Amino acid sequence: MTAAVMTDRPTAYTPPGDYKLSAAGLLRSEWTKLWSLRSTWIVLLCAVVFSAGLGALIAGSIPDDQAVGGAETAIGASMSGVALASVFVAVLAILTVTGEYSTGSIRSTMTAAPKRLGVLFAKAAVYGAVVGVLFTVMVFITFFLTQALFGDNGLGGLSLSDDGVLQALLGYGAMIVYLALLALGIGAILRNSAGSIGFYIGVIMILPQLATLLPWNWVSDVTPYAPGNVANTITLVDPSGQALGVGESWLWMGIWLVVTYGLAGLLLKRRDV
Amino acid sequence: MIEIEHLTKRYGKKTAVDDLTFSVKPGVVTGFLGPNGAGKSTTMRAIVGLDAPTSGLARVNGKHYSEFRSPLTEVGALLEAKSVHAGRSAYNHLLALARTHGIPKRRVREVIDLVGLHDVAGKRVGGFSLGMGQRLGIAVALLGDPAVLILDEPVNGLDPDGVKWIRLLLKGLAAEGRTVFLSSHLMSELAQTAEHLVVIGQGRLLADTTVEDFVSGNGESRVRVVSPEAAQLAELLAGPGVSISSPEKGVLEVSGTEAAVVGQTAAAHGLVLHELRTDRGSLEDAFMQLTADAVEYRQSMEGANR
Repeated sequence: MTAAVMTDRPTAYTPPGDYKLSAAGLLRSEWTKLWSLRSTWIVLLCAVVFSAGLGALIAGSIPDDQAVGGAETAIGASMSGVALASVFVAVLAILTVTGEYSTGSIRSTMTAAPKRLGVLFAKAAVYGAVVGVLFTVMVFITFFLTQALFGDNGLGGLSLSDDGVLQALLGYGAMIVYLALLALGIGAILRNSAGSIGFYIGVIMILPQLATLLPWNWVSDVTPYAPGNVANTITLVDPSGQALGVGESWLWMGIWLVVTYGLAGLLLKRRDV
Repeated sequence: MIEIEHLTKRYGKKTAVDDLTFSVKPGVVTGFLGPNGAGKSTTMRAIVGLDAPTSGLARVNGKHYSEFRSPLTEVGALLEAKSVHAGRSAYNHLLALARTHGIPKRRVREVIDLVGLHDVAGKRVGGFSLGMGQRLGIAVALLGDPAVLILDEPVNGLDPDGVKWIRLLLKGLAAEGRTVFLSSHLMSELAQTAEHLVVIGQGRLLADTTVEDFVSGNGESRVRVVSPEAAQLAELLAGPGVSISSPEKGVLEVSGTEAAVVGQTAAAHGLVLHELRTDRGSLEDAFMQLTADAVEYRQSMEGANR
């Protein structure tokens, strides 16, 4: 036996002690990952342009004699771009997870954080916060822009202090964050870009709309509770008379996120990377 | 120190690793040898917790990898050449990993310089060559200055300079008391880098020994004799367990005996020798011999399926 083979723990190398895996570290890592991809900038830029642009286009093209209706109609028209931008935001949410699987970078990620769950929650927290801040700003910009374009026609003249307006605008921001988190969780469950995007658009966005065409009454009783619909109430100036009240709307958003992330977390722990 | 105990991993019906037990000690470079598909990568993935074993254990310094508070300083791993998002720069890939552990930017630049990627660190990894990808993977493995290094086929795609560089690097790291475990299907590569060898075939342990013992234990050693009186010498050497062949006139290849015996026999009978040497089997021969069964089995299975 050579001396080298007999080398045992006493001479073993001691790694540096000042580096530690931490929750703050995971958040900073996800922040770095998010902004170091060109696709993030492109998709978020598209989302921003769409939300303000489409709102402005619609606001500017409604003839004054047709600009009738209350605050509900005005905000619904103004925010149509924001609603559409939520699709961009959701797709990017999916890609932040599935992109790691398709490129193999998930192996680096999970080797650095072998408990795995922290990565999922850090991704959701960072992306949710970015989308929350960006779209809260965009919602207000779009609101003031479209109000200026409506001018003194029937849809103009709204102010944030009017009943329910501020609440509805903040509701749009919250809805986008909810949809982004939902999409990110779906990405973590399915791990495949095309499959996740298809599932999100087909099952979350389109299916509940198509289902209302079915002849059975129970379907329309159920659809308000579908994951893609539960956030609708909080975007209304006057939420009374909806199948879900404001409180229920928040509750169901919470339920769907818990279900999605519960499943995503369980699968993340169980499956090989 | 890496300890593998009765590790078994099945993917559906396919058994990738089959009741594997061995340990990798610090201070030396240990080679992990086996043909493609032998289960080397699966074993390495199990060590860093990417694959959960079907049964058995893989531990590093007495702990399961996920129990470490700073995994990157305990184990540095190069698993697949490109475990990197193609759209991200090498620098940002390293930075994102560094941030999980609070490793400073200074260290990121240090490992980039160490692996020689300084000029391309800002470029997107999608455009990297295989060799550059390998260098980035090595940088990732070294990022946390870890006590244990696990490298899956690190020389793949490296140019000759790169191969020489990594050999020296790994030997140096082992000399510092680190555990260095690298896999290869190239026997010649490990012969030059590793001192200890773990050999597997079809997921099973075939040998766990020093490179030296592995070669002398498995490779056939032969004595080559050149003599003008070869025919006479052959008659004298002949005996049970000794086989003699003559590839050309005046040359004998003798196995089953030693050079000393041949020399003494020749001297005792006054025979002239022009050359007398022992041809040690190469690591390559030893490996081929050891894995011949495994490979044959698979080839016949493939043949049967066709």
